[in-house]
Amino acid sequence: MDALLDFARGPFFRFSFAIMALGLLRVIVLDLLGAYDAYRKAGEKDLPWGLIISRSLQWFIPINRVFKYRPIFSSISILFHVGLLLVPVFLFAHVHLWKQAIGFGWFTLSKEWADWLTILTIASGIALFIGRVFTRSSSFLSRFQDYLWPLLLLVPFISGYVCANLTISPKLYQLLMLTHVLSAELIFILMPFTKIAHCVLMPLSQFVSNLAWKFPADTDDAICTTLNKKGAPV
Amino acid sequence: MRIKTNIITPEERKKAFAIPKKPEVIERQRLPVRYHVEDYDVEDRPRRFLQAFAAILKHSSYRLALDHYIRSTAKCARCATSCQIYQATGDPKDIPCYRSELLLNVYRRHFTLGGMLKGRLLVTGHLTDEMIEEMADSFWNCTACRRCALECPTGIDHGLITHLGRYILSEIGIAPRALVVSTREQLEGASGNTSAIPVPALLDTLEFLSEDMLEDKRVEIKFPIDVEGADYVFFPAVSDFLMEAETLMGIAAVFTATGDSWTIGTGYFDGINYGLFYSDRMLERIVKKVDAETRRLNGKNVLIGECGHASRSAKCFLPTYCGYKDAFPVINIIEYTHRVWKEGRLKLDPNVVTEKVAYHDPCNLARQRWIIEQPRELLKAFCPNYIEMTPNGDDNICCGGGGGTVSIDEIRPYRTTVGGKLKADQIRACGCEVLVAPCANCKKQLRELVEDQGIDCEVVGLHDLIYKAIIFDDSLKIPVEKKHDTLKEV
Repeated sequence: MDALLDFARGPFFRFSFAIMALGLLRVIVLDLLGAYDAYRKAGEKDLPWGLIISRSLQWFIPINRVFKYRPIFSSISILFHVGLLLVPVFLFAHVHLWKQAIGFGWFTLSKEWADWLTILTIASGIALFIGRVFTRSSSFLSRFQDYLWPLLLLVPFISGYVCANLTISPKLYQLLMLTHVLSAELIFILMPFTKIAHCVLMPLSQFVSNLAWKFPADTDDAICTTLNKKGAPV
Repeated sequence: MRIKTNIITPEERKKAFAIPKKPEVIERQRLPVRYHVEDYDVEDRPRRFLQAFAAILKHSSYRLALDHYIRSTAKCARCATSCQIYQATGDPKDIPCYRSELLLNVYRRHFTLGGMLKGRLLVTGHLTDEMIEEMADSFWNCTACRRCALECPTGIDHGLITHLGRYILSEIGIAPRALVVSTREQLEGASGNTSAIPVPALLDTLEFLSEDMLEDKRVEIKFPIDVEGADYVFFPAVSDFLMEAETLMGIAAVFTATGDSWTIGTGYFDGINYGLFYSDRMLERIVKKVDAETRRLNGKNVLIGECGHASRSAKCFLPTYCGYKDAFPVINIIEYTHRVWKEGRLKLDPNVVTEKVAYHDPCNLARQRWIIEQPRELLKAFCPNYIEMTPNGDDNICCGGGGGTVSIDEIRPYRTTVGGKLKADQIRACGCEVLVAPCANCKKQLRELVEDQGIDCEVVGLHDLIYKAIIFDDSLKIPVEKKHDTLKEV
């Protein structure tokens, strides 16, 4: 078990983290290359930057949006996202590990804050899952991964919370810690290839959606030629 | 304020979704949709759809959005909360995200490496005739108002996907006949405009309107024709010449008051661009006609009348297809009127329009925050009983006839029962007596909506009211005796 845990915390962590980092970098680079190509071909290139920035900010800090529609669902969703971001990145134990590995750390959450945020994240994750199952509009749209993600994301939170706060036998502790590390690593590996890529793509969304309306010039002739429709009536 | 709307009753649903076509037509065209379609080649539709999709992808930039959307769509269903179609039907197939997924699935399966591998290994997900039929129905249920895009946390513009889906379908012959026939007349017909108005009829109409205004206002208000070098070459929705005389009179009155030079070209005088609704290729061709006529007349600016889609297609796509920085500047008539009013060159009487007046934002003017405050400032200046409808501005509720659907007469029951239901509830809640909608599409839809929904409210254009309230300088007024002489001459 010790060897397995060491492997999970060591080489496999580095592997999964690299997959996540490179995978997410890949989707950003692909997006930016696509944007460059679209911008280069666009017949008109004046992007509405004010609109892009203001609408992007509206969703980064969605205070105005929360209470407009589905306020309960929206509040829970925001809480879930805040917990997902803050707890793994600013947990004292995680920062300590990073400090040992790379020589420096950063701001950490107090134990109380970390515990409460973890509980809230778990509770909101369960609520989102239930909401997805029982809300007709959500369940109709949902794919397998949409049900899987809230549950998968909760595994490292629950296992981590138990390890950090409950008195359990060393063997169970090791098993839970292994679950904690491996589930987090599975999440890392899956992130770039699933909808969780929105964590890095979302800042580009408004930009992409506005740029997408900047069509290339003179496509009529080219498409007619490709489709053999030159001279065809309207 | 959020407008609550109830889901339509089963009876209303039956009426709204009835297909007004003979069974043999549906069978022959293999298309169980409500709008009429010209006969087309029904064989091998999936292959031809994919060919058209591939050609469009090759020569356009749609891949950027499609790739971004398939990677980031989270399926949160928040778009359902703002879609007036889903709010009225309660059918999850009307959720914008579901509609977009119809096309995104095709893209994922046939145009991405992962999708192609998965599809071939599992022998699944390939495009079928049934999927094409569902898209043909779904993309024309949507009014392309793009309100859902505001509510998508991941920024997906479902209106763009609807736009692309319709474009691909049109390339295999599936597009509403009403739009195709009008566009054919505009691009290839003798009249060169969507309403098939011959030039002599246009000139007669304008002369008649001038006579009417002389009688009414004691001012000689002309529609200048083919004036070379004019500051503004005017392109209204051509249907205004037939149906919106007061809007045109208001516009002509404003120009008479300011003395600025403007003209209507007899070579081309139609602002309508149905290409925006179903085909980028048509969009390009029509925009180029606007450019050519402005060039012929050596005009300085393109001026679009009270029409949302005509304004957006010229504003956004004239630079795209006609030389970017070298393209003619495009302005909407509301921008012009607002500017001259601000400059003090237009006087409006605040005692003429005393009814409760509200303003409806046309999606194509407001969604991108282009024209929101200008008409309100104007209306507040001369309508003492101006009231605001909410939500409004870039979050406005579509009239229910957007995206070209208003021009499809056979789907009126759908438009006024489903598409416009939320708007009807908003109009009722606001309690206005006069609803100002500076858009030919919105006006037609809203008039049909208030009629079918039994709402006591008059729908007018912005310049209809301006015409009523405009104050002319005394120097422009013709003395009574002279007026009679002038009329005799005419």
